[in-house]
Amino acid sequence: MAVRIPRGMKLVNLLLGSWTSVVMLFLYLPIIVLIVYSFNVSRLNVRWEGFTLAWYTRLFTDPKNAPLIESLKMSLKIAVVVTVLSVILGTIGAWLLYRYRFPLPRLMSTLIFIPMIIPEIIMGISLLIFFVTVSSWGNLLLRTMHITTSNPLSLGITTVIIAHVTFCFPFVLIAVQARLAGVDPSLEEAAMDLGATPLKAFLYVMVPYLLPAIVSGALMSFTLSMDELIVTYFTASAKSQTLPLVIFGMVKVGLNPSLNAISTLFIAATALLVVAAEWVKNWNK
Amino acid sequence: MKFRHAFAFAIAVVASLVLASLARADDKELNLFAWSEYVPQSVIDGFTKETGIKVNYEKYASNEEMLSKLLAQPGQYDLVQPSEYTIEALVKKDLLAPLDKSKLSNLKNLAPEFTKLGHDPEGKYSVPWMSGTVGIVVNTEKVKDEITGYKDVFQPKFANNIVALDDARELVSWVMDVKGIPVNEVNEKNLAAVKPMLGQWMKLIKVYDSDSPKTHFLNGDVVIGVVWSGEAALLYKQDKKFKYVLPAEGTHQFIDSLAIPKGAPHLDNAHQFINYILRPEVSKLVSEEFPYTNPNAEARKLLTPEQLGNPASFPTGSPKMEIFHDIGKSASAIDELVTDLKSQK
Amino acid sequence: MTPDINSNPATATRRPGVRGWLLMTPLLAWLFAFVVAPTLIMLVYSFCERDDIGQVVFTFSLDNYRKIFVPQYYGILAWSLGAAAAVAGFLAFGFYADESLSYKLFDLTGMTRRQLIALVAGAAGYCAMREQVYAMESGGNFLRILFISVELAAICTVICALVGYPVAYFLGRASESNRNKLMMLVMIPFWTNFLIRTYAWITILSKEGLLNTFLLSAHIIKEPFDIMPSTLAVYIGTVYTFLPFMILPIYGSVEKLDNSLIEAAFDLGAGPVRAFSNIIVPLTRPGIVAGILLVFIPAVGMFAINDVLGGRKVPLIGNKIDTQFKSARDMPFGAALGIILLLLFAVAFFLTLRKEEKN
Repeated sequence: MAVRIPRGMKLVNLLLGSWTSVVMLFLYLPIIVLIVYSFNVSRLNVRWEGFTLAWYTRLFTDPKNAPLIESLKMSLKIAVVVTVLSVILGTIGAWLLYRYRFPLPRLMSTLIFIPMIIPEIIMGISLLIFFVTVSSWGNLLLRTMHITTSNPLSLGITTVIIAHVTFCFPFVLIAVQARLAGVDPSLEEAAMDLGATPLKAFLYVMVPYLLPAIVSGALMSFTLSMDELIVTYFTASAKSQTLPLVIFGMVKVGLNPSLNAISTLFIAATALLVVAAEWVKNWNK
Repeated sequence: MKFRHAFAFAIAVVASLVLASLARADDKELNLFAWSEYVPQSVIDGFTKETGIKVNYEKYASNEEMLSKLLAQPGQYDLVQPSEYTIEALVKKDLLAPLDKSKLSNLKNLAPEFTKLGHDPEGKYSVPWMSGTVGIVVNTEKVKDEITGYKDVFQPKFANNIVALDDARELVSWVMDVKGIPVNEVNEKNLAAVKPMLGQWMKLIKVYDSDSPKTHFLNGDVVIGVVWSGEAALLYKQDKKFKYVLPAEGTHQFIDSLAIPKGAPHLDNAHQFINYILRPEVSKLVSEEFPYTNPNAEARKLLTPEQLGNPASFPTGSPKMEIFHDIGKSASAIDELVTDLKSQK
Repeated sequence: MTPDINSNPATATRRPGVRGWLLMTPLLAWLFAFVVAPTLIMLVYSFCERDDIGQVVFTFSLDNYRKIFVPQYYGILAWSLGAAAAVAGFLAFGFYADESLSYKLFDLTGMTRRQLIALVAGAAGYCAMREQVYAMESGGNFLRILFISVELAAICTVICALVGYPVAYFLGRASESNRNKLMMLVMIPFWTNFLIRTYAWITILSKEGLLNTFLLSAHIIKEPFDIMPSTLAVYIGTVYTFLPFMILPIYGSVEKLDNSLIEAAFDLGAGPVRAFSNIIVPLTRPGIVAGILLVFIPAVGMFAINDVLGGRKVPLIGNKIDTQFKSARDMPFGAALGIILLLLFAVAFFLTLRKEEKN
């Protein structure tokens, strides 16, 4: 592994290399353990008692695992909607900031940046309080206006989606903005000179150019949404149990090879996504 | 895709989501809010298969947690599973819907001693689910001493080898039992009296767990602890070395019931579910998976002698037992005390 | 490090017209509704109270903040400041008295005299405060828990930095093709759900788990390590979870390093330690700062790892806030705790930003 250090520093090179291998091992040890034990016959998860694919089949056939699969479907549903909304908000936002000079730029950039970096628990509780307040007053309003007799506004899929989009779209925005920074401003001008309306110029010239950034932002949104635990923990309800939430509940109850099986599938999917992201990055080159 | 179209599409997506959440509640649904490790999946599946009603099962690990969510989200849940003292609080604040007994034909299956309970004497708001006690579990393979009460458990020799329920009210009540203070007299003076001993005990505890304390016994992480009787019964079922002991200093008996919160969206489905679980063969399923004390007399007839003989499920003798009552605002004082002690070195 | 989300002056030449504002409105509305409004409502809640069953009562009350800021804190604050001042004075005297010692020390650490004194004095003040807080009989609840959480976060951040920096450097300086492959290897754990990765540690660390089984059978230890669940397990789990968050930003900085500078650093013959401490590390400072922020801030608010690996023994500030919304049924108090945490986070964030801009 040729690290660009001048000769004579071979020792440093060697040390760095070995340290990296140790750390990589540390990073992957639990993952390997998860994968290996998902094929273990033993339920108690420590003694190796034989190879089996039973846990994987049980994942989809055992009724006890139904909540797991349900939650996986729910997570996927939510992640797709979140990604679409984040891409729309993020792309439009990045383009507008690129095009126009809005007042109070510092404030806006801080506001957009906050959900990315705020501790998730603060975001979770503030959104919980917000949704609870809005839903209780909203329900009251709807009832007094006789639009409905029950309490339709509540925590649920919508609130989870809103929460996820709020911290996912800044990632798309930044990715698109980075790409916009390198664009040739005359591109759009040229298109408009040729007779295209500003909208057409945007759609047929800008968007294709921005596509790698949009796709990378979308991948990021999708993964963040699928992985999200803390904020979802505060804003979900019985009807909107996502996969991480169900896993969190199961983990508190104890070891379970079905968890290993679904985790392995998850890891495999993540690895595929990472490779896909790499491939997308190379589009540009 | 034209930009305007994309924009309109986005608005449509958002609008439909909002409208979907505003839409009238789906009639074929039931929002069940119950303890974790208390409602078997087989019961839920059986109910769905028979009635076509989809059950959304959300879980909690303490009465306080349930109350918290219920208060924040009124009109969302169809069924809750409170303990006796929580029912008292809910009834006081008029937060429970009275039951329509005409829809509950299977009420007659209940054993007579469970029909006139202190917290709900006419059975107006609740139907008993399971009863139980809190007591000591000992791994007799690893512990050869005679264990009779809390004082035997919380000894330095068991340091870092004890599991306890992660429930502030429970923890405080155990010390109160040892000190002979009635468990419902939670005030500043009594809490101060309890604090030193509780602090000492807590230093010996290895892990707090209300969801599944049995896991730590099975993992070999602990050898002794104070847990729910159902968890003890499961341990005993697995291996008779796990002995259940009711503490001599006293403990409390709890009764968990199903109740319908006011404003429940699916009143009818909730009643159907209650009537369903009152069937002896369904109640038997609950006992099999969570062997607490079953209040259903007809179901008991279907249990095996081994199940009936499990000392954790159906304790014998007449131990000193109290019942929790609602303590109102003092609940947060207890919580503060326990968190305070947990954070001390 | 902070991405400049501002309008690009080179291209953003026009003030937005009606169409511009119209298109921007959804974004602004979203931000207002779901970032600004929740924070404001949380602020309002923090001044409310709860009734005896746990519902929110909208009366103005400072009770929640009084519960957090106990009067004893003034005494503790005074004591800690005094301790810090004493240490600072002692150090300053020592350094100015013996010039040669100070220069050796500064060369090694690359810090100015004032920075070093400030650092050590701050550490002394922190220790003094910590002693006092732990000794408090009652009411020390919040501050104690905050200390524990900050300590956990800080220690894990330092460990992540020490462990991760060499890896990030190695990755950043690797050849092009190897670099991409190695980065993918780092990305996979980074993007895998942290809960799944944490859960795996239960298998490894429990009494009859992998680690103990391995060590026992190799006769390295006689008795199994009893660390699951425990605070040590929480530390391991936290470092493990956040390590990729440290590696990635530093890698970003290292990748941008000018090759000739590195060559020069090593060629000057001062030895690898000097090359790193005086030249390379300072050059990668933006990446390090980003890594520290990305690890420290989430780690302070973290509670899930504590629940899974820590046996719920020692509550962190995240746990305490979580409890207020669950068993304690005291949403106003939880809101107050949230506001305090938010303020701390804001202070830390802006301090870091100011320092970055100065550079």
